[in-house]
Amino acid sequence: MAAAIRRVLRASRAWSAALRARAAPGAQTLRLIYTTTAVQKRNVAASGPEKYTEAFIKKQIEEFNLGKRHLANMMGEDPETFTQEDIDKAIAYLFPSGLFEKRARPIMKHPTEIFPKQRAIQWGEDHRPFHFLFYTGKQSFYSLMHEVCGKLLDIQKYQDRLRAQGLLAENRKLINLTGSRWLSKEELEEMLVEKLSDHNYSMCIQLLERLVTLPCCGIEEEYVLKFRKELAIQLKKMVIEPLQYDEQGVAFSTGEGKRKTSRATSVVYDNGSGKIIVNGVDYLCYFPVIQDREQLMFPFQFLDRLGIHDMVCTVSGGGRSSQAGAIRLASARALCSFITEKEVEFMRQAGLLTVDPRVKERKKPGQEGARRKFTWKKR
Amino acid sequence: MAAPMAGRLAALGRRLAPPARAWLPGLTQVRWSRYGPSYLEPEVNKEVYRTPLEGLSEEEKTQQELKTLQPIKATASNVTSSVFSDPTISKFTNMMMKGGNKVLARSIVTQTLEAIKRNQIEKYHQASEEERESIECNPYIIFHQALKNCQPIIGLCNIQKGGKTYQVPSPLKDNRKRFLAMKWLITECREHKHHRTFMHEKLSQELLQAFNNEGPVIKRKHDMHKMAEANRAYAHYRWW
Repeated sequence: MAAAIRRVLRASRAWSAALRARAAPGAQTLRLIYTTTAVQKRNVAASGPEKYTEAFIKKQIEEFNLGKRHLANMMGEDPETFTQEDIDKAIAYLFPSGLFEKRARPIMKHPTEIFPKQRAIQWGEDHRPFHFLFYTGKQSFYSLMHEVCGKLLDIQKYQDRLRAQGLLAENRKLINLTGSRWLSKEELEEMLVEKLSDHNYSMCIQLLERLVTLPCCGIEEEYVLKFRKELAIQLKKMVIEPLQYDEQGVAFSTGEGKRKTSRATSVVYDNGSGKIIVNGVDYLCYFPVIQDREQLMFPFQFLDRLGIHDMVCTVSGGGRSSQAGAIRLASARALCSFITEKEVEFMRQAGLLTVDPRVKERKKPGQEGARRKFTWKKR
Repeated sequence: MAAPMAGRLAALGRRLAPPARAWLPGLTQVRWSRYGPSYLEPEVNKEVYRTPLEGLSEEEKTQQELKTLQPIKATASNVTSSVFSDPTISKFTNMMMKGGNKVLARSIVTQTLEAIKRNQIEKYHQASEEERESIECNPYIIFHQALKNCQPIIGLCNIQKGGKTYQVPSPLKDNRKRFLAMKWLITECREHKHHRTFMHEKLSQELLQAFNNEGPVIKRKHDMHKMAEANRAYAHYRWW
């Protein structure tokens, strides 16, 4: 156990030695001196010479796998089925850290996640570069642009041939782009292992869009889909609890909601008559303002279930409007168990199931408030 | 553009030493939202969700499918799906509000609508059989029509040319028209009101006058139009 930990710490020393050139001042690691790049979350490779050799990375991977098996042994688990989550839990158990910054706590991850992807040396022994676009500075990006342009010309030639034969109208092959989006700038940078400017990125996307508009672009569908990312159906990300039943057989469901600093929990009962109790008090007394009561009613009114359900909720924190908003979210989430999936999707599109992320903006130094500046004095 | 800009600024902020990072005059972002750029506005109207699938065109079907893939913002606190929530009335209440006192603003607006209704019902009962049909009792219809009557068609823009600033007539956007109508109504009621009259009383009087195309707010709209007509000669200074 000690040997594995020593190996982990020695490895980190090696990492920090390798990263001395890129270390940000005042950051923290295992050794509390330098940051590892996984912690900094930068995914772009170095634009300079190689910082660590391939042999070094291979050795790190071997050490990691060995250390993983030792750790599994230590924890009494099976080394073959020891996943990354188990590693994280084991490290959190063995090295309990009281540091507030999560990224400064001890981590043990696969070296490919720690060391950023970097390119091998771009020139040979005679110091002449391999790639013909090396001196542009962004060889992968410009070669990508050339490739896409070439494909565009190929598609146009194909179309001309079909048009000459008179078969263009029947052979239209378009790429289906619904349900996906173009790669973001960060994702493209990761793919090309190169830094891009905003202009570069927009040019690249424009070129790809132009390719997609051609009628016979289906020939290059595979290539284009490499630059598209699937969008997940938003509804699937929500977890809907099943209905629970109490002693009398009445169906009920609980939900939690929050807004600004308010936190609310609500229990919605079936076979009710539209009574709402908030913190032990009738809702008419708790919310004297009609706007707040309208917000409480909103999910029920949207689903046409006003007089059908009873609600008992507790809320704390915040002001009157944020408490009403928190209860609204809690009751909407509780109601999800009573209704069909389609209705849940309608509620989501009506904005009832989204947590409102707006919070009070912090005050900045040199200003009187979040936005208000001090009175400008000419002298 | 917002996301890469944010990334660049964050990177710049990180690279600078902590005391300088706190305040970057040329680079502080002002217009940003807690929601990401991909968030769509919520649709509260229940009728939209009741239309059957067959009643939609192809475009609308693809739009619906796309909507299931994108996250939606949370609905605001003053919006509900009930028939009583009106976006124009909400906007008007917000413009009436002073110092964040929405309770007071909303009560004034509700009392105004009540006062309008009372006035109209009184007129209804006092009118003869033929006139009764023409009297409109619904305060919401009166409110909307009055605001519509107050909206100017053309506005004036300040354009600097050769050291002098000219008032050039130019078309107004819908939002701007609505804003000007509401603003004129509120300022008119606030300034030319006897200190013993209630705001809701004065507002209801102004709204009823505007509904009949008379009163100070309509006069102000006509003044704006006359100014625009007078400055017709400078219309070619506008380049958009």
